[in-house]
Amino acid sequence: MTRLPKIDLVSIEDLELPEIERIFALADGFAAALDRGETLSAANGLVMATLFYEPSTRTRLSFESAMHRLGGAVISSADMNASSAAKGESLADTARIVSAYADLIVLRHPHDGAARVAADYAACPIINAGDGSREHPTQTLCDLFILRRKKGKLKGLTVALCGDLKFGRTVHSLIYALARFGANILAVPTAGMDVPDYVLARLAAERHYSFSTVTMDELKTLAGGLDALYLTPSAPHQMALFTGDVPLDKIPAAEPPASLDAFYVTRLQKERIAATQPRPGEYVRFDARALKGHRAQEAVVMHPLPRTGELAYELDSDPRAVYFEQAAAGVPVRMAIIAWLLEHKRDAHRVSPAAAETARITAEPAPRCANANCITRFEGAYLHPRFKLARAADRGLLALRCDFCERELRVEFVGHARSHRYYRYDENLYGYVHNWIAEGSLAVFDSVKQAEENGYEPYKRGPQREVMNDAEIATAVESLADQVIADVQDLTNVSIVGVVSHGAMLAVRIRDQIAAKSGVRPPAAALDVYNPGATVVALDGGDAFAVQDRALVIVDDVINSGWTVQRAMNALWQRGRPATVKLAVLIDRGHRALPIRPNYVGKSIPTSRTDRVQVRLAPPDSGLKHHAHDRVMIYSMLEAAKSPQDAR
Amino acid sequence: MTPKPRVVLDAAALARSVRRIAHEIAERSDGASTVVLVGVVRRGAFLAERIAAELARTSQIQVPVGTLDISSYRDDGKGAPGDPRLLARDIPFVLDGKRVVLVDDVLYTGRTVRAALDALSDLGRAESIQLAVLVDRGERELPIRADYVGKNIEAPAGQRVYVRLSEVDGADAVIIGNGK
Repeated sequence: MTRLPKIDLVSIEDLELPEIERIFALADGFAAALDRGETLSAANGLVMATLFYEPSTRTRLSFESAMHRLGGAVISSADMNASSAAKGESLADTARIVSAYADLIVLRHPHDGAARVAADYAACPIINAGDGSREHPTQTLCDLFILRRKKGKLKGLTVALCGDLKFGRTVHSLIYALARFGANILAVPTAGMDVPDYVLARLAAERHYSFSTVTMDELKTLAGGLDALYLTPSAPHQMALFTGDVPLDKIPAAEPPASLDAFYVTRLQKERIAATQPRPGEYVRFDARALKGHRAQEAVVMHPLPRTGELAYELDSDPRAVYFEQAAAGVPVRMAIIAWLLEHKRDAHRVSPAAAETARITAEPAPRCANANCITRFEGAYLHPRFKLARAADRGLLALRCDFCERELRVEFVGHARSHRYYRYDENLYGYVHNWIAEGSLAVFDSVKQAEENGYEPYKRGPQREVMNDAEIATAVESLADQVIADVQDLTNVSIVGVVSHGAMLAVRIRDQIAAKSGVRPPAAALDVYNPGATVVALDGGDAFAVQDRALVIVDDVINSGWTVQRAMNALWQRGRPATVKLAVLIDRGHRALPIRPNYVGKSIPTSRTDRVQVRLAPPDSGLKHHAHDRVMIYSMLEAAKSPQDAR
Repeated sequence: MTPKPRVVLDAAALARSVRRIAHEIAERSDGASTVVLVGVVRRGAFLAERIAAELARTSQIQVPVGTLDISSYRDDGKGAPGDPRLLARDIPFVLDGKRVVLVDDVLYTGRTVRAALDALSDLGRAESIQLAVLVDRGERELPIRADYVGKNIEAPAGQRVYVRLSEVDGADAVIIGNGK
């Protein structure tokens, strides 16, 4: 049983500012105690487990040293490997089991959001020592600690962040934290290594915070003592200056800072850049000259280490170079985190500010996080999606932020599970969506098709008109069969796959027509693209449906954007490599969003974007000749609040 | 008798094709600020850079450029099956809501494009994905078509179409030759 309160440190956002201040005060005490050579025993009898699924020397050793310095013990596994763990035990199970052996777990993991998962399942506190490209809060605490120590404060400091500002997880955590403490940031990225958009968007939306980005040359001008910082207006992407409500190009340049308090230089994250990519621009290099200007007189130089050439060794003797002190601070700061946990009662109940307002989406189909490195993509067997409502820049999209990896998901269609109605999202629905999440009835959809396949009806529909009757549909099906027969050289190699549900019904009809006309009866299958795992069911019973080396014909009722076809191909490729794929559709209504073209078309019907084309087909057991109820209807979907022309 | 390799696009014609593709992208994007280019490694990536430079020069549109290496998504046994962790890419922007123009050198069976669509849909929710290719040589095996084509050429099966770019090959040209 753990002897520590269940307080997890997953993100720097888990800590309130006074809590960070308290940790710093404790770290000051420990730094002094270590200087005096004192022996400490605060963590006597405690066991810390270090679970590192990714190699790290510095972080791991400083954690282990901190625990030993406090009189505690450390257990660790020599070879945690993400890929071997993925095949065997889930992260949840590992966290649960190890929390029975230890009072505290320090975790490093290659997937975004892994620490949040471990925190959810472990009985003991989890300290995140880096998860994917997301956060590394203890490194951030070390950075802030040394900065505060050298400068006496954090509020109002001007900190230049230089180098790789794109991949470095430490730098993103640091940016959020500096923003919270009210420090000024000056970004100096190496070409092509800018702070990612999502970081900027989040700062703007949540903190109304923005900062200037300058090139290294511009920084030198600044450090050389000029009064104004020159920003080239012809390159607006270089001036990441904005507030939440003003479009990027209309924002006036921020006042350049009068002086600099700190340079934070990062290493180029070679391991996160593929070898085949074009090389980024020349990396920044810091030497004595860069520190000459009077604006930089007082600026300390920080670096998370290890350095790979961006810091000249000549700087090491400069009193402003604090990177070794910064690294040394790792031990007292990590001691302070453990001691801070000990200050709380064991049964302390504390909901971290970051975990307070998450929504679990219970309605089917559950949305999937859009981040390919998100832990939910790898541990999906037991992880339920969890999102927070976020503020989207586009009024027509619902923004949900993954609670594990923070990636934003933008949703165009939402549904209410109890009434089984779907809506094109609009900002006016925000309040409703909020309530639906609370009552567990929010459904989100990629497309109208997905909504309707799940049994949802549009909230409101305009007048309907019929565009095809039963005879016209029968003619179109016959024409599709003729087109296939004329185009394909060897009918015996053809297999027909219909997209559930109308595409599958059409697939059977087309197949039967081909059989009647040619004497060859190709196998048919139904593909459910929106089912998790995208099932393929043979429609003739018996043998499994073969994909490998077959000449496949995908059948769907209506082609619109093409995303359904893309998903269908993706699902088929999981099962083998077809020799060819042709696409047959009853209706091509235009509005393609993907470079996909059907090979066989029953009828082309021009439509407006907000039109809904609905195909109604009699069920297959009603007999080939009696399709009197077959219809294709068009109606306009009415928007909840605005005119259809405004829709995206 | 095997036919001699022949040049179907020389350096000047290739440059004209790139200019025309850039012009069409500018026209059809209608000044939208959400257009981004993603080049398929390796030659598609250089073509994307050239198209972006052309857009900046003639239309004063700054378009972000990313690259995608789909070798891990390929279905021809040359790469591992589609594991997004293995996907080499450098896409320094969020794809959600963007109008992506995928750029490749040659469109042939369509299998590379299908793999790229898979990879891109794994990486985010783009509003749309268009396809720009320098050469369309026909003979499609999948229902894929290009939105922007530099040149349509007919190359007999068994012949190969080589795109040469000065960034990698020292000179610009499109050549039809015999398979190695």
